Amino acid sequence: MSDQGVGASVKRKEDDRFLRGRGQFVGDIRLAGMKDVAFVRSPLAHAKLRAVHIPDEHRGKAFAAEDLVGVKPIVAVSGLPGFKASEQPVLASQKVRQVGELIAMCVGRTRAEAEDIAASIEVDLEELPAVHDMLAARLPNAPLLHEHWGDNTFLETFVDINIEAAFDAPIKITREISTARQCMAPMEGRGTVVYWDSRMDQLVLYTGSQMPHIVRTGLAECLGLMQTQVRIVSPDVGGGFGYKGILLPEDVCLGWLAMRCGHPVRWLEDRREHLTAGANCREHHYRITVYADRDGTLRGVDCEATVDSGAYSSYPFSACLEAAQVASILPGPYDFPSYRCRTWSVATNKCPILPYRGVARTGVCYALELMLDLIAREAGLEPFEVRMKNLVRPEQMPFDNITKKHFDSGDYPEALRRALATADLKSVRERQRRGEPDGRLIGIGLAVYCEQGAHGTSVYAGWGIPMVPGHEQATARMTPDGGLELRVGVHSHGQSMETTLAQVANEILGIEIAKIKLVHGDTEYTPYSTGSWGSRGAVMAGGAVATATREVARFAKAIGAHLLQTDAESVVLRDGAVHGQSGSVTLAEIAHTWYRRPQDLPTSVDPRGLEATIGYKPGRDSGTFSYAAHIATVAVDPETGDIEILDYIIVEDGGKLINPMVVDGQIYGGFAQGVGTALYEEMNFDSSGQPLASTFADYLLPGPTEVPAPRVRHMETLAPYTEFGVKGLGEGGAIAPPAAIGNAVNDALRSLGAEVFHSPTTPRRVLEAIAAAKRAKTPVEFEEMQG
Amino acid sequence: MTKVSLTVNGSVLSAEVEPRTNLADLLRETHNLTGTHIGCEHGVCGACTLLVDGVPIRSCITFAVACENAKVTTIEGLDEDEIARELRAAFTTHHALQCGYCTPGMIVSARDIVLRMEAPSEHGIRVALSGNLCRCTGYVGIVRAVQSVVSGRR
Repeated sequence: MSDQGVGASVKRKEDDRFLRGRGQFVGDIRLAGMKDVAFVRSPLAHAKLRAVHIPDEHRGKAFAAEDLVGVKPIVAVSGLPGFKASEQPVLASQKVRQVGELIAMCVGRTRAEAEDIAASIEVDLEELPAVHDMLAARLPNAPLLHEHWGDNTFLETFVDINIEAAFDAPIKITREISTARQCMAPMEGRGTVVYWDSRMDQLVLYTGSQMPHIVRTGLAECLGLMQTQVRIVSPDVGGGFGYKGILLPEDVCLGWLAMRCGHPVRWLEDRREHLTAGANCREHHYRITVYADRDGTLRGVDCEATVDSGAYSSYPFSACLEAAQVASILPGPYDFPSYRCRTWSVATNKCPILPYRGVARTGVCYALELMLDLIAREAGLEPFEVRMKNLVRPEQMPFDNITKKHFDSGDYPEALRRALATADLKSVRERQRRGEPDGRLIGIGLAVYCEQGAHGTSVYAGWGIPMVPGHEQATARMTPDGGLELRVGVHSHGQSMETTLAQVANEILGIEIAKIKLVHGDTEYTPYSTGSWGSRGAVMAGGAVATATREVARFAKAIGAHLLQTDAESVVLRDGAVHGQSGSVTLAEIAHTWYRRPQDLPTSVDPRGLEATIGYKPGRDSGTFSYAAHIATVAVDPETGDIEILDYIIVEDGGKLINPMVVDGQIYGGFAQGVGTALYEEMNFDSSGQPLASTFADYLLPGPTEVPAPRVRHMETLAPYTEFGVKGLGEGGAIAPPAAIGNAVNDALRSLGAEVFHSPTTPRRVLEAIAAAKRAKTPVEFEEMQG
Repeated sequence: MTKVSLTVNGSVLSAEVEPRTNLADLLRETHNLTGTHIGCEHGVCGACTLLVDGVPIRSCITFAVACENAKVTTIEGLDEDEIARELRAAFTTHHALQCGYCTPGMIVSARDIVLRMEAPSEHGIRVALSGNLCRCTGYVGIVRAVQSVVSGRR
């Protein structure tokens, strides 16, 4: 390993511009003649749209659906049998199906002026009963969002693997568990700046996107353009987390507008739009039964899961990915013989959902891990004992689980053992027994999960959504001065790819990373890619860069051998130079020769030069499996319901770490979002479908005083199918905290006989649970419970 | 429209603004000082934090017309500032930024902590930073970076 190669905690190349305020985000782009757009949005969740009245003085500055002739709605289908597709009009016509749905588009010299015009537009709506509850939405008499469907179900799935064999288990526990709807809330909202480039005959659209190539394809289809006529530029992106993995109706509207009006236009999402109108995530409901033996052996899991998918199917992930994923990943890292799961992806009068960091894993981890703790209580075991009994064992690897997920490698019990050793369970139990002087209750909770990342063609072909990842391509190209350009179709929204992909190239070619430039975020200059999602960047783009740079290395060695007057087989590439027996020639000299002194090359030289574009796929494309054990220790105040995280431990196995510092950053950041999911973040709607949070004063993001520094430990079990043994792990930190913290809170409340099964675990829910336990008059003797 | 004159990063800035124009928009939209980021427009997230007469303020909820004769320093004006320079190095060392969107506001607030607080505890730093939200880093690197600059200057 060089000091800048794979495995080095290199400082980030991208930091300096951000630290000086010189990053370039969408909102920072200034184009001559640019005007601002504001939207008229639906104030109602469900209504017939009877008319839009644009005052005469604003004709030509305001546009409704009837103006957007030839523009197609956004349609994101799934190939799963029975899926019902929605048509999301880019501006509403006939009906609105969520608060915040776009009705009209207004253009002004400033955003304020555009908003003034928007305020002058009258919208005639006839309110319809709204569907705000996903369980009620499934009832036969529920109002319908998409009438021609006949119900409100995007998709229902069912799997039964011998569930009956579990029915004679001595332990059977059933609970209803649910997770709140959330907003992803990257610090930078969405935004679009767009103009028509008449020289290139091309629509140029700047948008902070995780997947510029997918946006290009979708946008071209909606606007009826050839894809050569669309260029998407994703500049610096201020956080994504899934929220920027979507084709927006706003993108389509502004694309049409730029072509019509001939000057650049801009829309920047404000925070109110983000919270009330932008895509949401995470709202799950489980009715789940677990079957186990008295020794804690898990016999079966039986579940009915419902996901609130909102009003429309989002492009490209569709409305069904989340619920269908629930069915396939609910078993988590556990080995058990019987399983049944029925899922519903339900349409409601709310914002569409998108996969948020962790996607369905956060919900299923919460549901299953809470149930495993109940088994432990019923069986009189420590929660870790139940996990140890059922976790996939290292000698089973590679392991195909009950839903045919292919676990590539790892030692899951060892991760848990290390976490337990770090937590010092014994002293936490002792402290818990002793009691706190301030009356708070101590609890400890754990959760183990696996994170399938970088799943490829074989997995996504089955979903049949508009996007199926194939080979990930990268271009590597030496420059005449011995530098290197890398071009990739994934995009960084904080993941440090400018540094980590340069490290991969450095590992192969030995070129110092200061001389390596990553070109990404522009469809004009990068190979096609499905983009950055699913913890795939390090595995897929890293693998592609390794493959392409190896090819450049081969070309360089051939030229170097010629310059050294020897053959390519007898030279080696090391430390940025080609070495033979007679001497060495640097890559810079080789590049200089290829580009500027071709007269020194033999006629037989490989005409591909010092440039290669190659695709990469891991040996198996079913995904890498990183995993972790999380342990939370909390103090719960039974008087106020306040929860403090006293200690948090994460033992993570992400395979080979390209840059351990960056990996820790991903884990810390994921953990912080997990704390938000566990304790604070909740996007509620009232019964008429009105969103009840519109500012950060009522949608609570965790701040510096809410997120402690977790103690992170690593294992590095190399992935067997990927370059360097890398595993995807970008989402993991956000998966387990609601489960670990939820279990810790329930452990703390155990002496009161109270339990909470809805996240976030807020003070109000804690107090309600305590009150309910008191009402039920079933106090459980703490000593007795300790057995 | 109202005329307003202020000093921004040492240069005089005069502009005709609407009463509703906030300071962040004035700086970003007409003077290309885009390092001041807008994250919530209601004074909670702290991304737009800059200095007015040496004090950190939320430029998204500060009207431009209220800044007559004020001395404004944005992130771009801290290039040569000694504490900001130390903070930049510490932020890089401790991986205190990922997407970089909250970073200018964080640097401004962190600089204020370094100047104002004698020997802050970790908790004290967290409380002092609690007006700045970050969605990427979990605050671990940010707190460590501020701690390292504080202790390095002691």
